[in-house]
Amino acid sequence: MRVFKTIPAGRLALALAVGLMLLCTMAVSPVLAKDTLTLAIQGEPEDGYDPTLGWGRYGSPLFQSTLLRRDENLNIVKDLATRYALSQDGLTWTVTIREDARFSDGTPLTAEDVAYTFNTAAKVGGKVDLMKMDRAEATGKYEIEFRLTSRDSTFVNRFISLGIVPKAAHGQDYARKPVGSGPYMMVEWNEGQQMIAQANPHYYGDKPFFKRLVFLFTDEDTSFAAARAGKVDVVVVPQALAVQTIPGMKLHPVRSVDNRGLMFPTVPDKGEKTADGLPIGNNVTTDPAIRKAINVAIDRKLLVAGVLEGFGRPAYGPCDGLPWDNPANVIADADTESARKILADGGWKDSDGDGIVEKDGLKAEFTIIYPATRSIRQYLALACADMLKNIGINALVEGKRSWDEIRQLKHSRVVVFGWGSHDPIEVYHLYSSHQAGEGYNNAGFYTNPKVDEYLDAALAADSYEASLEFWKKAQWDGKTGFNARGDAPWAWLVNLDHTYFIDEHLDVGVSQVEPHGHGWPITANIQKWTWKD
Amino acid sequence: MNVISPSFCLGKAGRLFLILSLVSILAFTLVSLSPIDPVTAYIGIDRMQISVEQEQRIIERWGLEKPAPERFFIWLGNAVRGDLGQSMIFNEPVTTVIGKRFVTSLWLMASAWLLSGGLGFVLGVVAGTNRGSLTDRIIRIYSYTLASTPSFWMGLVLLAVFSVSLGLTPICCATPPGVSPDDATLWQRLHHLILPAATLSLIGVAQIALHTREKTIDAMNSEYALFAFAQGESRTGVAWRHAVRNVALPAVTLQFASLGELFGGSVLAEQVFSYPGLGKATVEAGIRGDVPLLLGITLFSAVFVFAGNLIADILYGVLDPRIRIGTEEAK
Repeated sequence: MRVFKTIPAGRLALALAVGLMLLCTMAVSPVLAKDTLTLAIQGEPEDGYDPTLGWGRYGSPLFQSTLLRRDENLNIVKDLATRYALSQDGLTWTVTIREDARFSDGTPLTAEDVAYTFNTAAKVGGKVDLMKMDRAEATGKYEIEFRLTSRDSTFVNRFISLGIVPKAAHGQDYARKPVGSGPYMMVEWNEGQQMIAQANPHYYGDKPFFKRLVFLFTDEDTSFAAARAGKVDVVVVPQALAVQTIPGMKLHPVRSVDNRGLMFPTVPDKGEKTADGLPIGNNVTTDPAIRKAINVAIDRKLLVAGVLEGFGRPAYGPCDGLPWDNPANVIADADTESARKILADGGWKDSDGDGIVEKDGLKAEFTIIYPATRSIRQYLALACADMLKNIGINALVEGKRSWDEIRQLKHSRVVVFGWGSHDPIEVYHLYSSHQAGEGYNNAGFYTNPKVDEYLDAALAADSYEASLEFWKKAQWDGKTGFNARGDAPWAWLVNLDHTYFIDEHLDVGVSQVEPHGHGWPITANIQKWTWKD
Repeated sequence: MNVISPSFCLGKAGRLFLILSLVSILAFTLVSLSPIDPVTAYIGIDRMQISVEQEQRIIERWGLEKPAPERFFIWLGNAVRGDLGQSMIFNEPVTTVIGKRFVTSLWLMASAWLLSGGLGFVLGVVAGTNRGSLTDRIIRIYSYTLASTPSFWMGLVLLAVFSVSLGLTPICCATPPGVSPDDATLWQRLHHLILPAATLSLIGVAQIALHTREKTIDAMNSEYALFAFAQGESRTGVAWRHAVRNVALPAVTLQFASLGELFGGSVLAEQVFSYPGLGKATVEAGIRGDVPLLLGITLFSAVFVFAGNLIADILYGVLDPRIRIGTEEAK
């Protein structure tokens, strides 16, 4: 008791008050969550946050801004650019940019910076493909000219995906300490753990609601556990986990063109090999009747329900629902009767009664390969093989250890591939015969002169808008094309939904149809996100 | 104190040089034979947006167009000058990546190392002194079980129990979300260290404990122990006053020599807890075919393990005069 008497009442009160204040500051941190958002969406760019190496090609570059943008309906809208036009010969773009844009260090963004960004990205050898650009040149303080080496209507996508870096502040360590004119600026990045960003006071657009963003770069399981423990506001989860519930969070599925499909070799196996010695061709899948029958026989809705737990939609082409998608791609599938008829008309009959059809002594048999670690691809392959058995096609299923093994076999086996991009150049690479056998491009050696004509016309079109029609015609022009009604070099199966859990109080607006990519696409409209109590 | 004689230094330096040469040749050969094509791994899902010409440009940026032996000698030439090259995936000098990551790992490894060493030693001595008793049996069963437990599994169990179910420990990382390592308090760092360090040390304990137990049993049956017993000393007294000194030496040696295992264990533990240390960088370098980083880490770990063994050698001489005198007499 003597101890208490020696402490004056005032000092005790002070001590209590300090203690209480300490407790309060500790209790305040959850309330702060309203202007701080924690996201576990994966996809840490190990390359760093340098757009000239490829940062920001999905969604928003966050720290930098782009000349143009795609809105939630994927229409092209202006961002830094105030005017843009392509010359008559299709070889010169002229872009005028806004005059009020500043980098986060306060320096103004000028045409010099834009030209520098494009010229640098063209030569460094990152993930930005500017091979069609001759050079970019500032023709005024706010005007830039881009010269192309050949006509390319898809070039406009570089205006959408390439964030502008400051010429003065771009160097070796830029990727770790980016300076840009985007809605956010970087506070800190601890590789392998997290990246912290805060609102850029110099941003010319609407001020974002969230002042601070924390991106956690933990792996799938850890992220999910952190969400369950209430530590994150947005978490991306695999479809298989999306059926679970997380207290305080709601499921936010986003449609995507992150697709999966069967790629068929479309030339016969005559013992030919590519320059690096890879075998070409498959005698079964070279027959269009086989490929068309497969397209018609597969029950895509069942695949979505069974393999993707319902988080997806059937795929009928490589770009379902994108501006260059042809609605005629949608076919009536799950139709075994029609599939059998197509086979019979094509001369495939089961003459030895083993349940598998033959033509000229050749059994309708092939192997579907996929990377063994990808469970969705495995389930898709197995389910397809099952569905094909019904129409007398024997599909064997084989998981391969690595992409390298698949690379060796990609011209002679059926492969479960997945693509999906906001750039129609992908369609060109997948189907143009000029690209056949180059890398993973047109691995099935698909050739149709009419399709080539349309694809080339699309590239050479006067504008992005004008190119859309040609992309659609390459898919199906009423007579021919590369969709399932036409030559069917692919059987597209499903488009995944990207599944996120987001806090109940978080409003993320309308998400774009997302490309194949890791989480970043959801941040495309992050300036518009708000918190509702 | 003439443990570190010039000939000793020269011998060790020569051995280190030999080890590093062999390790780098072997590692380079293995990596070149790996089925992972770094360019494919780098481009990944962007395949269809990248033209063949652009791919060629990436190959040139990384210098992969040259044949493997030529690349090795270029790498070697730079490595000798202390430049281990640029990490492909981190876009930073390899030495910087290793330096940054190792500092993070050091916290983890050091705490696990001290914990497992101390705990393992005590458990081993206790078990060895009371051979055959219930305590001994419990310690032995614990050690045998833990010695055969994969550390990632142990980590997952701890994570499920303490972080997800009980909510006592953090889920991941080295600092709380939104707090940068520089601003993190000591308590926050320690809090995030608890589970990964516990995982590593729980498993590390087993080997030290079993080894120490054997040595303690030997010591308890030795003549000097018998002599002490004859003078009326109790079992505990003999163990802590006489046996421990003789048992400590092999235990310390083992502890230093186990740095390699510690390194390996931390790779798995860091992966489970998303602890951004050297172990996690190793996994990323491996998966994505980052040859310079992988080689750098391999060399670094070789030096690390070598240093552990070297310290053990030197300590042996310092702690046990018989060895030192023995070597001198042999001359």
